[in-house]
Formats: sequence, C-alpha cells, structure tokens
Amino acid sequence: MRELRAAVSGACVFAVVYFLAGTLRLPVLTYDPVARTIELTAQRNGLSMRYFGELIWAVVAGSCAGAAMWNSRRPAHPGAPLTVAALVLVGLQVAFHLSRLLAAV
Amino acid sequence: MISGPIAFEESARTLLVVHAVLGFAAVFTVTHHAAAALLAARGRRVRRQLRRFGWMAPATLAAQAVFGLALYPAYRVRVRFADLERTAPAVAELFELKEHLAALALALVFAAAFGGRSLPAEPAAPRAVAALSVCGAALVWTAALIGLYVTARHPVGMS
Repeated sequence: MRELRAAVSGACVFAVVYFLAGTLRLPVLTYDPVARTIELTAQRNGLSMRYFGELIWAVVAGSCAGAAMWNSRRPAHPGAPLTVAALVLVGLQVAFHLSRLLAAV
Repeated sequence: MISGPIAFEESARTLLVVHAVLGFAAVFTVTHHAAAALLAARGRRVRRQLRRFGWMAPATLAAQAVFGLALYPAYRVRVRFADLERTAPAVAELFELKEHLAALALALVFAAAFGGRSLPAEPAAPRAVAALSVCGAALVWTAALIGLYVTARHPVGMS
C-alpha cells in the first residue's frame, strides 16, 4: 500500500504543479530554439518554449512528494481518496486545456 | 522564414520515426497494463503481467517523451511557426492539447505502474491501480491519435 500512496501523492503534486506553472506563468527554464539559449524566466518571447521547464518543475515536485510519502512515518491513510483526488485533478486539467482549445477554434 | 540551425533538425525525420515506433510501443504497453489492472481489480491473478508491463509501460512512455522533446524545437519553428499558425491555428492548438495530455499521462502511468508493482490485499488498491492505469491509457491513446493527425498534416523534418 505504501507504493500506491507514494505514487498517487506524486501524481497529485505533479498535476497541481504542472497546472500552476503553466497558468500562473511561474519562472521556469525556457528554451529559445532560434537563439539556442536557455534561461530561467517567467516571460515568453516569440518562439521560446516553456514546456520543458514546466515539465521539469512538475517532475521534480511530484518525485519529492512521492519520496516524502514513501519515507513518511505518519499513520497510513486509505489510498482510494488520494486516487480519486489525482484523477479529479487530471480530469479538471484536461477540461481546462480542452476549453482553451475550443475557445481558440 | 527562419534560416538558422535548429536543435536536432538535421536528424528530425529519423527522430520522428523512432518517436512514432516508441509511441506505438507505449500505446500497446499501457493498454496491456490497463487490461491487467482491470483483471486484477476483478480478482484475477495477474501479478506477473502487472510486474512485466509495470516497467515496460513507463519505460516506453518515457523514451517516447524524450524523443518528442528532442523533436519539439524543430516542430516549434518549422511546423508550428512556419505553417500551422498561419494556415491551421486550430491544429496548432490541438497539438498544445496533446502535449498537456502526454504530460498528465506520464504522471498517471508512472503512478499506476509503481502502485501496481506490489498490490496489497486491501480490496480498494487494485481498483485504484486500475482507475489510474485506464485513465493513463486513455490519455496516451488520445495523445497518440492527435500526434498522428498533426504529423499527417505536416511532418516535422519536411519543409
């Protein structure tokens, strides 16, 4: 059960951080494919790409959350609510991005 | 028209083929993992399948993502900026959606694979793994279909 809790906690945090990094325009590693430069910035200029940086934030935060839950000595709690939370977070994000797509069409 | 060199542009077609092959492998392995997780949730003994696809699914998905990230600069400049934003902005937005689905699929598939490696006796656990795995597989399928559609419209590596 410890594996499941750690994995689902990581997925929850991944989803939250990925969403916040994108919508709040948090500073992330940004790659400019034309200038071929990488910088830590909240700005998005022209062709610069934030996707890598947002993904890195989410992977690092999710991994840390999973590791923290794995090493936690607190009493175990059921994994089902955490799983539901992870799926709801992912579902909300899919709906959010889908709504942006439909708004742009 | 941007004429300067873009990262991995010269090998973009090769990368695209490898990305596609790994994409098919990822679709098949996450689907197998989802099927095994569903059978486990119904009480069938599929621990060996869950363990086998529990490393194959995240491994193929991660490898595919690495090749996709390597292709992304060339796509951004040569396909999205040079073509799609002018001729088919909806397709460019569809590709944005695909990127987000792929990122979320990574989280779900890794969680399902890791959680499914040692399913405990608690009845809710196999159902939780099955839910994560099925949703992850659905996102991978959707991302793969969108990727195929965008590639059919304008493959990266062909100006």
